Amino acid sequence: MKILLVEDNERVRRFVLKGLQEAGHIADHADNGRDGMFLAASERYDVIIMDRMLPGNVDGLAIIEALRTSGNRTPILILSALSDVDERIRGLKSGGDDYLTKPFAFGELLARVDVLARRLQGSNTQTTLEVGDLHMDLLSRKATRGARAIQLQPQEFKLLEYLMRHAGQVVTRTMLLENVWDYHFDPQTNVVDVHISKLRQKIESDSERPLLRTVRNAGYMLSADE
Amino acid sequence: MNRVLRSSAFTLATGYVAFGFAALILFAAPLWYAWQVTIQDGRTELLRTDAARLAEVFRQEGASGLTAFIKTRVGMQIAGERILLLTDPSLHPLAGNLPRWPQGMPAASGTYSLPVNLGGKPAYAMFAHSVLPGGYHLLVGRDQALFQSLTPRFWYGLAAAVVVLLAAGALGGLMIRRAVLQRVHGLRHTVQAIVEGDLSHRLAVQHGPDELNTLSVTINGMLDQIEQLVHGVRDVSNAIAHDLRTPLAELRSRLEELSLTRPGTEETFAEVEAAVADVDRVIRIFNALLRLAEIDTGMRRSGFVQVNASELAKQAVDFYQPAAELKGIAVTFRAHEPSMVAGDPVLLAQAIGNLIDNALKYTSGGGVIAVQVQNRGGGTVEITVADDGPGIPDAEKSKVLTRFYRGDSSRGTPGVGLGLTLVAAVAKVHGGQVELKDNHPGLRAQMLIAPGVVLKGNALGGSGAPHAAPEVRAAPAADTRPGTAQSTGALAPARALNR
Repeated sequence: MKILLVEDNERVRRFVLKGLQEAGHIADHADNGRDGMFLAASERYDVIIMDRMLPGNVDGLAIIEALRTSGNRTPILILSALSDVDERIRGLKSGGDDYLTKPFAFGELLARVDVLARRLQGSNTQTTLEVGDLHMDLLSRKATRGARAIQLQPQEFKLLEYLMRHAGQVVTRTMLLENVWDYHFDPQTNVVDVHISKLRQKIESDSERPLLRTVRNAGYMLSADE
Repeated sequence: MNRVLRSSAFTLATGYVAFGFAALILFAAPLWYAWQVTIQDGRTELLRTDAARLAEVFRQEGASGLTAFIKTRVGMQIAGERILLLTDPSLHPLAGNLPRWPQGMPAASGTYSLPVNLGGKPAYAMFAHSVLPGGYHLLVGRDQALFQSLTPRFWYGLAAAVVVLLAAGALGGLMIRRAVLQRVHGLRHTVQAIVEGDLSHRLAVQHGPDELNTLSVTINGMLDQIEQLVHGVRDVSNAIAHDLRTPLAELRSRLEELSLTRPGTEETFAEVEAAVADVDRVIRIFNALLRLAEIDTGMRRSGFVQVNASELAKQAVDFYQPAAELKGIAVTFRAHEPSMVAGDPVLLAQAIGNLIDNALKYTSGGGVIAVQVQNRGGGTVEITVADDGPGIPDAEKSKVLTRFYRGDSSRGTPGVGLGLTLVAAVAKVHGGQVELKDNHPGLRAQMLIAPGVVLKGNALGGSGAPHAAPEVRAAPAADTRPGTAQSTGALAPARALNR
């Protein structure tokens, strides 16, 4: 994937660039809004990572608005030290697709970038989801593993649906909280882990191949691959 | 002098003088007019009376009698006091002190003012002209110059009044200025002392309900509030310093030990990961504090929408259910449907979550947590989370709602000591409060949400709208699973996490 990183803090920039390259992405970078705007407008990227506060009194949001006005639909992840709910809303309203507060774990950033990049490909009109022999019917709201029917409660269904929609991608605990439960706070205890563990019991019986993996320091990934 | 000119009291006094001046002119103008008219009328009346008397003489004694009478009078009187002239029908003078019939005098009877030549000097005189029987003409007049001195006198008087007014105004202004400035200076000194950092000063309040006193009382109230806030901030800073010191100290010793002992790669990475976890703890505390600050400003109130508290509580119960099961704790839920409040769904969800989270933390296996949402009178909604854990001693109940306070028994359990503080802050921003009661045994935490008002334009707010990623969500209708209004978590053993 080709990613543009607009970030003025050198240490953060180096850290993110290195991580993105290790994850197999090609990353361009700019340390100010002017260069960032120029690159974003002249090159094609799969995802843009945009810091909010940039040198020279440029707000990342102004750049995003300018890009959106000119018809650029590239998914944008906003990075910001401003964590207020209102700031988050402002960021998303300006045309950003996701909002990540500093300081952040790299795993969180990478997972969100992957999800953003693939969102354009995936279609929301699907009525069935499939990962290996795990099958989900969104209309009848039923899930099966091979021939075995899986009994799921509504929250579990939502959780599994989200994981299946992002099969092969790492999803973090925060992403699950935000998208499955619509919770925008940190519940402090490992409640998400417990939900995953419960779901795992239901979709993986002892004789079946594991599908739901825990990714260290990042989150979870549902995948049919070994 | 410049300071005197610029002082507000002086401006006020100048304004008063200017206003008084204008009022005096408005008052003098009709007076002047009335005076003029009255004097004029009085003079005319005098001349008419005089003329009538002479006409009476004419009627009784004829032209010759009047001629003689006038001649006698003219001979006696001081020249100019009265102008008299009697003429025959052809306007030929018979008697009087006017040498000839004045030019421009109308032929008919009446009162006229016109210039005449009095003994060689020109003058302006007023005449009563009477046409007597037989065509004789009688003029009785008076030189206007005799009255001229009255007009300047009027103006002198007016000028004197103005001077007195100005002097009194200026004096009054100075006195007001002194009185007001003295008190304003007092206020300034006190405020200056406060600006310099001593918040204990208060403005002097004198007896009486005057405006400056009222202002002083209001300002003192504001200072009380500020002092309280500053002390609050100071306490919080101390608490933060204390709570952050622990993970930071751990982090520091970990890193220092690493650099001193330089262990093998495997061990180094383990230590680095533990260091990251320490930092995460610090970040977590900061996030909780920022969140509290955000709530405390009250800014979130602008984002209030109609929220069903029962629905939020049910979601929270569902969310924590598996974690409770894992600990062997049963969670019961009972609610009035719907329980609508005006509020911020994100904050309310977090507050309810924190209450349940807190209960889970302090309840041991086999315990029961009861979550209940009730509509109280007057639109107030009460959200109760009761556990049968160790509870909180009465003496500590009010302290646990302040920042960073954790009961001594809780040291060592996870959490940053801000959970209940946040609940209290959320309740406050929703116009409600948190009450901690005994559940015999255990803690019964009640959050009361006052019926608020949703500001116009927030109707479309939905669930607060801060969705980080607008991903597709399952239809919320799927949540209406039967029996959730009273769901009890079963005691189910769970598989180990993180395989």
